[in-house]
Amino acid sequence: MALLELRDVSRAFGGLQVVNGLDLEVGEGEVVSVIGPNGAGKTTVFNLITGIFRPDSGEIVFEGNTVSGLAPHTITTRGIARTFQTLRLFLNMTVLENVMVATYGHTRASIVESMLQLPRSRREDKEVRKLAEEKLAFFGQRLMGYRWDQPAYSLSYANRRRLEIARAMATGARLLLLDEPAAGMNPVETHEMTELIGKLRDDGGYTILVIEHDMHVVEGISDRVVALDYGVKIAEGSFDEVATNPRVEEAYLGLRKAQTK
Amino acid sequence: MRGPHSFVRSYFPVNWSLFFGELVSGLTLGSIYALIALGYTMVYGILKLLNFAHGDVYMVGAFIGFFVLQWLGGPLTTAVTGWLAIAIMFVVAMVGCGALGVGIEIFAYRPLRNAPRIAPLISALGVSIFLQNSALLLWGPQFRSYDTFDLIGVKSYHIGPNFFISNIQIFTIAASIALMAALTWLVARTRTGKAMRATSFDREAAEMMGIRVDRVISFTFFVGSALAAAGGVMFGIVFGQIFSLMGFTAGLKGFTAAVVGGIGSIPGAMLGGFLIGLTEAFATGYLPGGSTYANLYVFALLIAMFLVRPSGLLGSPVIQKV
Amino acid sequence: MVGPNLGGGVPPGPGVVDQPRVGVDEWVANVDERREAQRGLTGLVRRGWERVPPAGRLVLLLGPFAVFPFVTNEGNLFRYGLITVIYALLAIGLNVVVGFAGLLDLGYVAFFGFGAYLYGIMASGHSGHHLQAEIAIPIAVVVTALVGLLLGLTSWRLLGDYLAIVTLFFLQAFVIFVNNANGGPSDFAYPFVGRVDLTGGANGLDQIDPLNFFGYHITTTKGYYFYTLISLALLMTMLYFVNKSRTGRAWRALREDPLAAEVMSMPVNRLKLLAFMFGAATAGFTGTIFGAVQSGAFPGDYDVGLLITIYAIVILGGLGSIGGVVIGALVVNGAPELLRSSSNARFLFYGVILLALLVAIRPWYRLVVVLLGTVAFGAIVHAVVVAAWPRGTAGHVQGGGAFGRALDHWVLIPTHVDRIAGWAYFVLILAALVLTLVRGWWRTIALIPTLYLASFVWENKLIEQVSGATRLILLGALLVVIMNVRPAGIFGTSRVEIV
Repeated sequence: MALLELRDVSRAFGGLQVVNGLDLEVGEGEVVSVIGPNGAGKTTVFNLITGIFRPDSGEIVFEGNTVSGLAPHTITTRGIARTFQTLRLFLNMTVLENVMVATYGHTRASIVESMLQLPRSRREDKEVRKLAEEKLAFFGQRLMGYRWDQPAYSLSYANRRRLEIARAMATGARLLLLDEPAAGMNPVETHEMTELIGKLRDDGGYTILVIEHDMHVVEGISDRVVALDYGVKIAEGSFDEVATNPRVEEAYLGLRKAQTK
Repeated sequence: MRGPHSFVRSYFPVNWSLFFGELVSGLTLGSIYALIALGYTMVYGILKLLNFAHGDVYMVGAFIGFFVLQWLGGPLTTAVTGWLAIAIMFVVAMVGCGALGVGIEIFAYRPLRNAPRIAPLISALGVSIFLQNSALLLWGPQFRSYDTFDLIGVKSYHIGPNFFISNIQIFTIAASIALMAALTWLVARTRTGKAMRATSFDREAAEMMGIRVDRVISFTFFVGSALAAAGGVMFGIVFGQIFSLMGFTAGLKGFTAAVVGGIGSIPGAMLGGFLIGLTEAFATGYLPGGSTYANLYVFALLIAMFLVRPSGLLGSPVIQKV
Repeated sequence: MVGPNLGGGVPPGPGVVDQPRVGVDEWVANVDERREAQRGLTGLVRRGWERVPPAGRLVLLLGPFAVFPFVTNEGNLFRYGLITVIYALLAIGLNVVVGFAGLLDLGYVAFFGFGAYLYGIMASGHSGHHLQAEIAIPIAVVVTALVGLLLGLTSWRLLGDYLAIVTLFFLQAFVIFVNNANGGPSDFAYPFVGRVDLTGGANGLDQIDPLNFFGYHITTTKGYYFYTLISLALLMTMLYFVNKSRTGRAWRALREDPLAAEVMSMPVNRLKLLAFMFGAATAGFTGTIFGAVQSGAFPGDYDVGLLITIYAIVILGGLGSIGGVVIGALVVNGAPELLRSSSNARFLFYGVILLALLVAIRPWYRLVVVLLGTVAFGAIVHAVVVAAWPRGTAGHVQGGGAFGRALDHWVLIPTHVDRIAGWAYFVLILAALVLTLVRGWWRTIALIPTLYLASFVWENKLIEQVSGATRLILLGALLVVIMNVRPAGIFGTSRVEIV
């Protein structure tokens, strides 16, 4: 059974139909890439899945339960976490805190317990710290050691992208939605990101849905590729199938060029 | 004790003269609130800044009007005719407060354009308390009177058996509508108005298109503050009495009006102003404890508006970009 | 193959990864060095402070307070000690709402009032009930927290600025209510009970009982002082733990980016309410103390003036800084209290100006030019006026002392000064505006007459109302200036908004 399933999901803003009758399945342990030209509705799909927007119609099912209509924090606690295309770290918190804060959904200590430092609060704090350190260790030496106690704004751009992924991992999610994880990276960093996504699936056991523009990355990571245009799915299948699909070429290069070819 | 009869009477207005009385005073009050609300809504539209000091600019306007009147020889022995005196008061107060508004912007808000959102708000709070207490220091806590009766004489016109309206009320409503019409024309039809709209839509883009954004913002503050000053002078003329702490409550109501109408929307501010004025007047006339707690009813209206339609009557809902 | 990103080239193989990379992390690696490099006294103090363990910091901050009652008299203990500690308590609660959670709550002072009035209703000669404090205080705190919950509900739908105005209106509503809810003819008739005197109206709710815990009465100022101080220490400690806990982290995340916080599994709305309730409960608790200390609750005590004072404390102390508010409270309460005597006030006024000049003017010779220039300018003006218009110097400065007498020969003190001083005040504001607009030597030169004018206005006008309007004028100006210079507050660490 699919881990995540979008059934005939639509969403419009004003008169603009941004996502139109979209069906999408992501199986357990899969890496699925969503591609499409700018404005195709890719990020909106992420916003719909994570509950930032509600779908106008259709249903989003995660682990067999409907999640559309739930509050974003509930959806995240159920097991879907995302990164943002325009990075949204908590810049004035330290690197470690950025990861620790994302465990809010599966810790329980109340404010009173924390105030009085009751056992549960102390135990959870220890666990959370350990978990955060583990998640950061996933990125090798990149986010280790002295960087833990530095504010997030002091990180380089690539490290911020990594930290966003670490933060999403710390929510305890099984499904990660990565919104252009390699955007703005140089070729070396892009390559590292490709490897990292593979490692996330193989070692981390995560299922991954990723939006990406860099076709090298898409080729390197995807089990399956879904192409969107104007909020409609225009192609689906392996990377090669989608990349050679005439409708995809048309969407990217414009109608005339596709005809003359 | 109130019996059921009086209950019915007070909730189903059969007393037409009370009804029309409150209607006219609500419209008068509303036109003043609308003028204040316009300043809030313009500044908010362009800077996304809540200018707490706006109410105090209104107060300063009322005082400038008062001092101009004194300078002209006082209400009884005015050097010029009453209506001309009023015109001079308006002009001086509007220009003076316009300059004050521009000064406030340069001094307290301009350096904070790119600061965290909370910084200009606190700065605005500082300006407000500064102006209010400066007024207290210079002019004292006592009430000052415009003595409108001596200045122009008050005539009351009857239309039908129950409808009364005074020349001052007519003047206030008409003058504020004229000012609003002028503003609407300014924003909709002039080059400056176009620049204002462009700046409020996207400041950076406007700057890149060659609009001198700082100048546009200064101009916005000038116009907004001048309208508030006009409101202040009107208040003085209608209610006679002004005092150094009058800006706070009036500012709150003006803001409420702007919000109820939909902040950022100019017709919304006008509509909101009249709505708040009418609410206050009818609450005073009809609701229990009304004369004391009219402001509480206005507050309730504000809350209700937020719950029902957070973007206001004429505002457009904002889509957050993720 | 067709793709949108054709120019990327071949990704290098894995071996290349460990090479030094251009432009990646040098900046980061240098952060510590740059921090260490923060020179001068501030850097030294900051680094020293960071080495002290948290418990030690608490002792360092509050230790002097604990000693204070033994070296001062009753009146000073009340004015400088008790009120400062009460302000600090209030500011800590506000700091949770504004500093941690980033919600601009301008109705905060109303909760302080709620605490005082609720305690007064439950235990006073005015209401006729005399509940023990150990029952009355928890009830007052819980009820205040619930009111905070109600007000906080509006934060669900409102963005920062709207919330500010709704809460400010709430404060206004509170003041109107307590001013009128005396069961008089203009008051509400409540359902079932009719007209009730709840608050004593404009005259206030008097005869509030002293705090009475299990039969033990707190009667002395010293008693109240220690009760409040211990509460402050406990609250600071608890807040320190909360700040490090999941709730504290979530609040700070909420301040940084509510949407990202929500998507990272934090229930933003619930957290906002929690912050509101925490703030309200703190203010309510402080209110019960204040009511008992004053043995009365009066509408005028809970207005915008106090709100500004508390905000000034929080901002001075640094938004989000727990220890900073103690220093903020000390400065904001201490300074105006010193202002009460006009000769003290004078020293403070000139001292602060001198200090500000010292900090702001570089290099040193400009400072010398400004100082000497101002003295000379004053002397010349004074000499000219003596010759031309003797009445201009006929008055004397208020308050004596050698300094005051010296000023007499420098500042113009005309008789019948009112109108002139009013204009001078106006011109001074204009001059301050102009100062911000000119640069370089022009500013240095313009500073000289401005300073003289400031001194003139101070001696002739501001000094008359040092404990009233002047105090708030200075606080208002302080808020504006701090926001301009250091939006994070004096003792707060500056934050990065968007890089």
